[in-house]
Amino acid sequence: MAALTFTLKIAPQQRVDVSPLTPDNLAGKSATDIAALPLQCGNRALRTDEVFTIAGDDAADIRLLKSSAKLDLIGKGMTSGSITVDGDAGAYLGMQMKGGSIEVSGSVGAYAACEMKNGVILLRGHAGDFLGAALPGNKKGMAGGVVVVKGNAGDRVGDHMRRGAILIEGNAGGYLGSRMTAGTIAVAGTVGEHLGYAMNRGTLLLLQAPPLLPPTFNDCGSHTLGFLPLLLKSFKGVDSCFGGLADSLKRVRRYAGDMAAMGKGEVLVVI
Amino acid sequence: MLIKLSGGTVYDPAHGVDGQVRDIYVRDGRIVPPTGDTPDQEYDLRGKIVMAGAIDMHTHIGGGKVTIARNLLPEDHRKDPAPREGLMRAGCGHAVPSTLTTGYRYAEMGYTAGFEPAVLPINARQAHHEMADVPLLDVGGYVMLGSDDFLLRMLRDGRSQAEINNYVAWTIHSTQCIGVKVVNPGGISAFKFNQRNLDLDEQNSYYGITPRQILQTLARAVHELGVPHPLHVHGCNLGVPGNVETSLNTISGIEGLPMHLTHIQFHSYGTEGDRKFSSGAARIAEAINKNENITIDVGQVLFGQTVTASGDSMAQHRNSAVANPNKWVCMDIECDAGCGVVPFKYKDKNFVNALQWAIGLETFLLVEDPWRIFLTTDHPNGAPFYAYPHLIKLLMNKSFRNDALARINPDAAALSTLGSIEREYSLYEIAIMTRAGAARLLGLRDRGHLGEGAAADITVYTAQEDQEKMFEKPDYVFKDGELVVKHGEIVKIVWGNVHTVKPEFDRAKIESELKPYFDRYHTMKLDNFMIRDNEIEDDGRSKILVHSCKKA
Repeated sequence: MAALTFTLKIAPQQRVDVSPLTPDNLAGKSATDIAALPLQCGNRALRTDEVFTIAGDDAADIRLLKSSAKLDLIGKGMTSGSITVDGDAGAYLGMQMKGGSIEVSGSVGAYAACEMKNGVILLRGHAGDFLGAALPGNKKGMAGGVVVVKGNAGDRVGDHMRRGAILIEGNAGGYLGSRMTAGTIAVAGTVGEHLGYAMNRGTLLLLQAPPLLPPTFNDCGSHTLGFLPLLLKSFKGVDSCFGGLADSLKRVRRYAGDMAAMGKGEVLVVI
Repeated sequence: MLIKLSGGTVYDPAHGVDGQVRDIYVRDGRIVPPTGDTPDQEYDLRGKIVMAGAIDMHTHIGGGKVTIARNLLPEDHRKDPAPREGLMRAGCGHAVPSTLTTGYRYAEMGYTAGFEPAVLPINARQAHHEMADVPLLDVGGYVMLGSDDFLLRMLRDGRSQAEINNYVAWTIHSTQCIGVKVVNPGGISAFKFNQRNLDLDEQNSYYGITPRQILQTLARAVHELGVPHPLHVHGCNLGVPGNVETSLNTISGIEGLPMHLTHIQFHSYGTEGDRKFSSGAARIAEAINKNENITIDVGQVLFGQTVTASGDSMAQHRNSAVANPNKWVCMDIECDAGCGVVPFKYKDKNFVNALQWAIGLETFLLVEDPWRIFLTTDHPNGAPFYAYPHLIKLLMNKSFRNDALARINPDAAALSTLGSIEREYSLYEIAIMTRAGAARLLGLRDRGHLGEGAAADITVYTAQEDQEKMFEKPDYVFKDGELVVKHGEIVKIVWGNVHTVKPEFDRAKIESELKPYFDRYHTMKLDNFMIRDNEIEDDGRSKILVHSCKKA
């Protein structure tokens, strides 16, 4: 069995909803069935073989080649298997994903990993705004799994996040961890303004000191936290720099907040 | 063009026609007397049921709170997309559908008119814009007064009834409305002065005015101006256990003036039983039966997800604790009033919700005169409007009702007398409630009936055992003589009219007072506040229809 490969062959004028192309949905489907699957493109539905050149047959191992930022909803709700994207991806990548893995060689649009439940997402480029957030109006964001971003992430990362981990090796934008209920976000680079805005619980782990912390966070002093090596060790299975810090990173300065909300969250700054 | 509808079984309560086979002739949008001319089109309606187009006299389809509800609940739209189909443009929404979808769904059910009951004067222009975007439906609004600073000042200063009448008439004109509504009289204002409850005889702490005074003054104003629709009252203490006393006091306190009590179900709660929450429907119904000056609509609760949108910020602030999903909005709206939007999920196993459901049905079945009770769910507050066919079945079919009763919270069912009520509504009574009565209540002389000269808003159903199926999907719907729905599908898009009244008043006198008031307190100048006819009519879609006022 060879990987089921979709090579983008058109330059879409409108955004294309490729949510039907998941391992769950394609399992057991014949090549002709897959070719005929309708993909919503703007206000029209296109056949899959009008958009992609299709090859291979292993639905558990899907490859999207020459992908573009116009392809939305890659891997929506998938529960198993893997999707490998060569190129950029659009908005809502891995939305409500329940298992399996997605890897993107380029950058992704807004709302990647939004309301994700489980699984692993690896982004080698940059991520847009609202990474791991809740859909607009919803109250529950990412609730499990791990997201690794090798590049930078946009604003509002982890908005309404409830569980799971987001590991950013580049910089993060403003409102990092806003309205978080729980979960962990680690950032190796710099962070923007309004860090932890209205955060209830959860942990923001920063390798670099932020230029400014909101006044509603209280300095709780420096600590050697026993759980940190354990937390970092748990990331050893994923392709991230944080797993490697398990033995060296121990001491942090802890700030508790957002006192304007529940105030049980924390910002840990490595010292 | 002459259209002949032949051989249908006609229910036209305005003319006492109860299921008689008749031919109906329509020429140029109007019903005309039988003629020998050869019709251009003929519809064979033998065995079908013919009624006037239905009128929803209380449905929140326009204005700020609907927009807020849509913004608050994007998931309501995500979960219920209505893709473009045939003549219908795309839309969405379950509890608060988009304007287009609202119009299509109403028309598909045989409704040809809907009235927005809470047009805030300051937001009236937006409400009209929104209603103008609802296709296939005649619209109109009731302008909200009673918590506005200007009226409360007038009352505080002991101004004469004539002066207040002048202000009320000016407001009706300026907002292009057909009636006047009062929401929690004075209570929305009291909320701004930190009062969290306001009973009928309790003073607003700032103005020293009681809800009773406001109700009496406004009911008298509407009556004296000759506005056909009596004062539309959303009373005090909405949703508070024990408010049945308030409602009964309101009825007796109006001293015989005509008054319409809206969504009475939410105002019919007693405090008996272990949980201090019981049905007051029997007492309310008794009072309605005795007082011919009172009309009501029910505001029936049906189970499922919806959202409550109301001008009653005091009640909505109280309800916010049970918001489901847990998010809500309460806001102040300038000098006029306020509003609150709280999503609700009515559950049949929940004691309170189940009893609310039973109280609504008890009210329907215990009020004897169908001319004085109207079928509403207070869309979307009790349920979205497209639950109406289900509600009609509950009223027309006793065994269906009792089956439903058996499924609700047993404690609530045990407290309700619903199971012992034998009454089943007839088609004639449904036609009164949803057509003839509603038109009469609003003073729409040429709607809601099938007599000569009436506008040809006509709905044709196939009689079925299952009334829900029957009312869900009419065979034909005509709007002003145009066939718009055929076998449940939209076949033509037309735009409805705007129904208004324009009572006489002394413009110069009131504007000499209002102009400086607007300059001092409002965000808008007086000239910009008034909605001119051309704003509504110039796009060529909507036409303003003015109904006559008879001075009392």
